[in-house]
Amino acid sequence: MSDQDLVVETVRDILSGFEPFVLTAERRWDAGLWSALASSGLTGVGLPESAGGSGGELADAVAIVRTLAAGAAAVPVAEQLLVAGPAVVAAGLPLPPVEEPLTFAVADSVSAVPAGEGFTLTGSVADVPWAGAAEHAALLLPGPALALVSLEGVAAGDAFNLAGEPRGSLALGGVSALVAPLTEGQAEELRAGFALARSVQLAAALERVLDWTVQYAGERHQFGRPLGKFQAIQMELAEMAGEVVAVTALVDAAVQALAHGSSDVVLAAAAAKVRAGAAVEVVARLAHQVHGAIGFTQEHKLHHLTRRLWSWRDEAGSELVWSRVLAAGLLADGGDGLWPALTRVV
Amino acid sequence: MSNSLVLAPAPRSEAAERVRAEVREFLAAELAAGSFRTHVDTWLSGVDPEFSRKLGERGWLGMTWPKKYGGHERTAMERYAVTEELLAAGAPVAAHWIADRQSGPNLLRYGTEKQREEILPRIVRGECFFVIGMSEPDSGSDLASIRTRASRNESGDWVVNGAKVWTSNAHASHYGIVLVRTSPADPANRHAGLSQLLVDLSLPGITVNPIRILDGGHHFNEVVFEDVVVPGDMLLGTEGDGWHQVTAELAFERSGPERFLSTYPLIAEFGRRVVDTGDAAQLAALGRLSARVLALRQMSLRIAAALDRGELPNIPAALVKDVGTTFEADVIEEVRRVVDVTPSLDSPDTLARALAEAQLHQPGFTLRGGTNEILRGIVARGLGLR
Repeated sequence: MSDQDLVVETVRDILSGFEPFVLTAERRWDAGLWSALASSGLTGVGLPESAGGSGGELADAVAIVRTLAAGAAAVPVAEQLLVAGPAVVAAGLPLPPVEEPLTFAVADSVSAVPAGEGFTLTGSVADVPWAGAAEHAALLLPGPALALVSLEGVAAGDAFNLAGEPRGSLALGGVSALVAPLTEGQAEELRAGFALARSVQLAAALERVLDWTVQYAGERHQFGRPLGKFQAIQMELAEMAGEVVAVTALVDAAVQALAHGSSDVVLAAAAAKVRAGAAVEVVARLAHQVHGAIGFTQEHKLHHLTRRLWSWRDEAGSELVWSRVLAAGLLADGGDGLWPALTRVV
Repeated sequence: MSNSLVLAPAPRSEAAERVRAEVREFLAAELAAGSFRTHVDTWLSGVDPEFSRKLGERGWLGMTWPKKYGGHERTAMERYAVTEELLAAGAPVAAHWIADRQSGPNLLRYGTEKQREEILPRIVRGECFFVIGMSEPDSGSDLASIRTRASRNESGDWVVNGAKVWTSNAHASHYGIVLVRTSPADPANRHAGLSQLLVDLSLPGITVNPIRILDGGHHFNEVVFEDVVVPGDMLLGTEGDGWHQVTAELAFERSGPERFLSTYPLIAEFGRRVVDTGDAAQLAALGRLSARVLALRQMSLRIAAALDRGELPNIPAALVKDVGTTFEADVIEEVRRVVDVTPSLDSPDTLARALAEAQLHQPGFTLRGGTNEILRGIVARGLGLR
């Protein structure tokens, strides 16, 4: 068993004690699950021990995020392990204790004013993942710069994505922060890293939705046969499988590009987000079609993942945003450069 | 997800990148010299024996085969890079395509020493071209229902009667690997009693009748066999094992980059147009198409890596072909949605011409080499549904 299998097994064990639930403003995240993960050191995986993390590779962190996403776990692990944590470390800022959830947001209308040894932030930021649950936030500011703030005492607005995951705004007037400057390239890579994190989650959830649907088609009988014996259903499941295999292959390759420090990581992440996002329509639609009416209710588990799929595809940049970035990047050397670029990116 | 559908990621191959650079240089020189013009779907329509011979000279045919048969003992990943570059450039590769892709590997797997020694070096040199003899007038998706028969005569030779169709480039090829029934159909075991014969297409009794496709091009043929005497030693593999052998061929037939790059020359033209216009909607469309190309490359590369490991990943190959050929057709609509262009085969506008070629070839993409319905049935089996 590889280290990664061991990590996945540990996460699965923990996850088996925490069923997904319908998120509400009152119960906006799974604090119990987070504590269990944190006390096993899993909320610091992939972050260097020297900075207070648990060590390990990017691949380990990705494996954790995948497992949690497939389990519809309501915890900010993708944000902490794949986006905010690495960004804080790379910027040379002190990583908050990894037991305290750290989120990430793009804060285009927040500015930092020097104050004493640090900075004071002004403005507000919307669409903050896990607002009201996270204790710290890494914010990408115009400039560009990375700000690290404690969210203690910061009021979080009530806004939620289609799955009920908190995506509220934070009013940051007068909050003190640590700020590190970034290059434009670093800022773009950070945005791409956020998109790649959502892509990893999408890939895992898409695969699990396929698994659930195949299983359901084997169990549900109509006309005296399991649904999966009907060719019409088989065609739909095969189409779903094609989407899932395509997404997995590209997301894996983009993660590799990130792990190897490829100079094309932004384009790789852009492609992964576009491809994963595009698969959502097909996979979620067909999963619901095969599940029938029960899948359209909160009594069945399917919605925990399909509602997340419909949310995540538009978060961290939609297909529209990233497809333009991707095409512009691929055409950087002109029309004749398209094919060489396609064979270089991943 | 079911393990039968999942392949390990392909490791990056430096050797493949080296040969890719060589092919790119070669293609740029050939294009500059006017030795070919870029077209869509050239692995069906671009027959140019001279070009095939040039590829042979460069060592780009039979790349993975043993040196003792003239091959180059290179990896499937290197071959992948070569084929992908040729397709992306819309180069005329149809003459040798089938021989290099599947007939040669089939001979390596099942051929006799004599068959290999006689034929493989000629394929490697780009001098010997093959056709696939599977489909018949009454047998398309239901391949096991074929009726072309071969029976032994008193001298031990095979006497073949029947007809094959959609036989690409039979009029320009030397051999066919022909699936025939060598014992009567057994309703209890439909796959039994089939065999593969290596048939010299110049034998008496063979008639090749052209069948024109939608753009008027002559690529398809009907090949009629009337008491064709095929020497007894031209059986390929084992008598009665034809179904199994055909199935093994399919991992090669279904997994390559030609299953998603047939319309790449249209994407290339579209890319040039986007550079000219800078239009935001066109940019987004190109980004969507590119993301799909990138995903398909990774899927197809995983198959090449699996072939290098000695596997025959039939089910993943069926899946790649389903997703890839669907994509080839979707390219047309993505472009049409964002560019106001009227397709025309004789337009001076290269985009209009590529669009016309793609449109008139499009129905074939999701039919040839196993319809997407058949492929999805195979994927469903991989999912454990049948």
